[in-house]
Amino acid sequence: MLTIPKVIMGNEAETPADLLQGTLELLILKTLASGEKHGYEIAEWIHVASAEALSVEEGALYPALHRLELRGLLVADWDISANNRRAKYYRLTPSGRKRLKETRESWRRTSVAINRVLEAT
Amino acid sequence: MSEWFSSLRLRVRALFMRQKREQELQDEVAFHLSMREEQARASGALDARAQARRQFGSVAKIQDDVRDTWALAPRLASLVQDIRYGSRMIRRGPGFALLVVVILGLGVAVNTVMFSVVNAVVVRPLPFPQADRLVRVFHVPPPAQFPGATRFAVSPANYLDWNAQNSVFERMSIYADGNATLTGRGEEPQAVPQELVSADYFAVLGISPLTGRLFQRGDDKSGTDDNIVIRESLWRTRFGGDPAIVGRSIIVNARPRTVIGVVPNALAVGRVQMWSPLVLSPELRALRGIHDFAVVARLKPTVTVARAQAEMDTISKRLERQYPVDNTGWGAIVLPMHDEIVGDARFALLVLLGAVGFVMLIASANLANLLLAKTVGRSKEIAVRAALGASRRRVVQQILCETVLLGLMSGAVGLLVAQLSLNTIVTYITGTIPRTSEITLDSRVMLFTLGVSLVAGMIAGLAPAWRLTRPNIQGTLNQGLTRTATGAHDRRLRNALVVSEVALALVLLAGAGLLIRTVGSLRAVDPGFDQHNVLAAVIALPQPKYPKPEDRVRFSRQVVERLRSLPGVEAASAIDSLPMTGGSTQPVEIEGGPAQVMSKQPEVAVRRVMPGYLRTAGMRLIAGRDFTEADTATSQPVVVVSEAMARQFWPNDNPVGKRLTLTFRPGVVREVVGVVSDVKLRGLDFADPVSALYTPFAQSQIGLISLVVRTSVPPKTVTSSVGAAIHEIDRDLPLLGVRTLDEVVGASMAQQRFAMELLAAFAGLALLLAAIGIYSVLSWTVRQRVREIGIRRALGAPTQDVIRMVVIEGLKPALLGVALGLVSALALGRLMTALVFGVSPHDVATLSSVSVILTMCAVTATLVPAYRATRVDPVIALRDEP
Repeated sequence: MLTIPKVIMGNEAETPADLLQGTLELLILKTLASGEKHGYEIAEWIHVASAEALSVEEGALYPALHRLELRGLLVADWDISANNRRAKYYRLTPSGRKRLKETRESWRRTSVAINRVLEAT
Repeated sequence: MSEWFSSLRLRVRALFMRQKREQELQDEVAFHLSMREEQARASGALDARAQARRQFGSVAKIQDDVRDTWALAPRLASLVQDIRYGSRMIRRGPGFALLVVVILGLGVAVNTVMFSVVNAVVVRPLPFPQADRLVRVFHVPPPAQFPGATRFAVSPANYLDWNAQNSVFERMSIYADGNATLTGRGEEPQAVPQELVSADYFAVLGISPLTGRLFQRGDDKSGTDDNIVIRESLWRTRFGGDPAIVGRSIIVNARPRTVIGVVPNALAVGRVQMWSPLVLSPELRALRGIHDFAVVARLKPTVTVARAQAEMDTISKRLERQYPVDNTGWGAIVLPMHDEIVGDARFALLVLLGAVGFVMLIASANLANLLLAKTVGRSKEIAVRAALGASRRRVVQQILCETVLLGLMSGAVGLLVAQLSLNTIVTYITGTIPRTSEITLDSRVMLFTLGVSLVAGMIAGLAPAWRLTRPNIQGTLNQGLTRTATGAHDRRLRNALVVSEVALALVLLAGAGLLIRTVGSLRAVDPGFDQHNVLAAVIALPQPKYPKPEDRVRFSRQVVERLRSLPGVEAASAIDSLPMTGGSTQPVEIEGGPAQVMSKQPEVAVRRVMPGYLRTAGMRLIAGRDFTEADTATSQPVVVVSEAMARQFWPNDNPVGKRLTLTFRPGVVREVVGVVSDVKLRGLDFADPVSALYTPFAQSQIGLISLVVRTSVPPKTVTSSVGAAIHEIDRDLPLLGVRTLDEVVGASMAQQRFAMELLAAFAGLALLLAAIGIYSVLSWTVRQRVREIGIRRALGAPTQDVIRMVVIEGLKPALLGVALGLVSALALGRLMTALVFGVSPHDVATLSSVSVILTMCAVTATLVPAYRATRVDPVIALRDEP
């Protein structure tokens, strides 16, 4: 699960799981858009890219990765990591790229809409 | 869509590469962990590995979740895993599994058999096409003459009018029961039950023949009535399945007849083996006041029973106005054929099905208890799994998987036992319950068995599952390694199971007790004759061979004389219909009484007897005399009347010497010569005595002859000499039935006895299971409290105190169960009203004695655990506990 500071999301337990799952998948797709990464890198990348506002729990990350792989949005290969260890690298498939584009669009529309609502007087 | 397909493809592939996947997942997680560890180390943590672990969370749970994503259907995968796990647990403890499968399997077997009976008799439609449109039509007699009678045989003239005037029936058919005697070719004479049927009979039922043809219009005209139809079973047994049976000539009732067709076994209800055409002669067609026939009809497709009833009411009213002499007060009733055939058996069977349901619940509760004891031993394992992130749903699912698996195994065993015992049971209930030949384990029964097994497994698993997902994980983990202490909470759950077991057992016992009392009070009823040591043999004299009444009387006299000379025979005589097997009821006119039309005349039972019958049957002559050989066809016609009849017609007068006429034999004035004790002609459970009248054979028309023989030896031992005596006079005469009068009386309460025996067996089973339940719970309690008991004993508690403590501990839930059971038994008692006789459904004696029995049983079940408690060695008990 994505841990999001309570200031932003209120009580963690009340956050809708679907939204978070979908969101996590979007973040993973986005992360892999810049090239293949292994699980740990993905988690770190999201952490850093969100200015440490988001941290991905492994308990959510790996099931999500496998789910995406099964849906044919990612493919995985074993390769040697930077520190000379075997690691499983994920990268986007063409349909993963397509999905990223679509989801990103819809996310953008949604967040613009939500912002409008929040700023409405 | 394409994404869904590729996903499916990948999932299927994942199935086949399970091992590789599994390994890769391990590696992937290990890699992630080592990266975390490095990071932690880099930031200067001392316990880098532990910190990495902590941050990562539950490895097992993540792996589980990932595995879920691979699965074809994620839920299913975990289910498959749990089933594997469950079967492993069962294999690990085969003794326990065996115990469970035996207890539950027996329960399932009893349920399966009972349901297969209910299914065949009550649930399944009759084996005819569109059987729901088949009805039987009866007369409803005027209540003044026939108190309590709602269905009465039909007169031919009324039937013909019904048939002609109705617009609700597609077809109607009239028929009558009869007996046929097969003879010829030096074979043993054989009596077969037959029906005389009008030509439309088979068309009404919609039966098609196995071979040949069945009756058609015109087959019941006089002169063309030599054709007969036989049943498949008769064809196979008597005629060896002769392929040339159609057209074969056989001798029936001393007359050659031609077989034209064979009815398949499956399409015949009851015991009938042969059908002859019923020829309605002009005399019969005009007969309106004599009711001797049955009617079956097929409703038109859209007509309801209620509408048919309404129309029959209208027609009956019209006929009443048209023929007041014969028809005043005579109505008609339309009954679905299924209801009519199943009748009383339906209720008894449903009660018994309910009873086996109770037995099953008790067995499941017992299993729950056993499992509880076993799974509590495993609570540490479960707690570990929960701590590692197994969800509650998953833990419950796992336990249920195991118990449902046990349930299914029991189901298989139960089905097998049911299959093996079915024939015995069908034989046992045939004659008491209709349609037993149709009992099979069909798909509906299988489905029922599957359902019962699943539900039993679930019920058994719910208590342990509930119990195991409750405990405080930390508490369990912190406890010592050797023991699992469980609290009051646990004991409450187990006691609740015992309470419900005992309550259910008590309800069953109460039901069984009421039926035992019922059979007891039926046995205590004085039938009005002495049924012990009497053998009865029924014969029917074929009309062509004995055409005149004199021939019949002469034959009867010869046979009776011969029977009297047999060794071991004290007395012999004959009657037309034995008590409790039906018989004639006729209107009667008393001399000096009011002159009335026949339909208003009082009705009495009429029996024809040979001289000496009253003495042979052990009836008491109260006044006057019995018939003698001097009462002949040419002497003064005489009758003997029953006490009830004497009271009814001559309440303040001596009936001997009074005169009367039987309306069906007008002009014959008969004189009362004797009064005899009342006999329960209709059955033991009919409280009111029947007004009955006896005439001598020599002055009557006789059809059936029931020979009765009082013996000084066990009556069955003279069976063959009685048969031989009859065959010496006519070797072609078959015996329709040879029974003792004890058996005849027994058969009249067969249904109550059948219900009683089965319910008693089920109640016994329930009692045993409840005792096992109490015993196992208490054994467990004693084991739990070994330390406490040890301390008490160390402090000098006397043995009796320990025993008392344990027994009281065990009796508390048992007594609560008894109380609850009593309340339920009182509430359910009303259901039993239709089944009991001579005892209130709320009978205090019965309820209190079953309570005592159950309590005694509970006390017995506590004794072994109590004894064990006294053997607790304080030293060991105290040392053992951490």
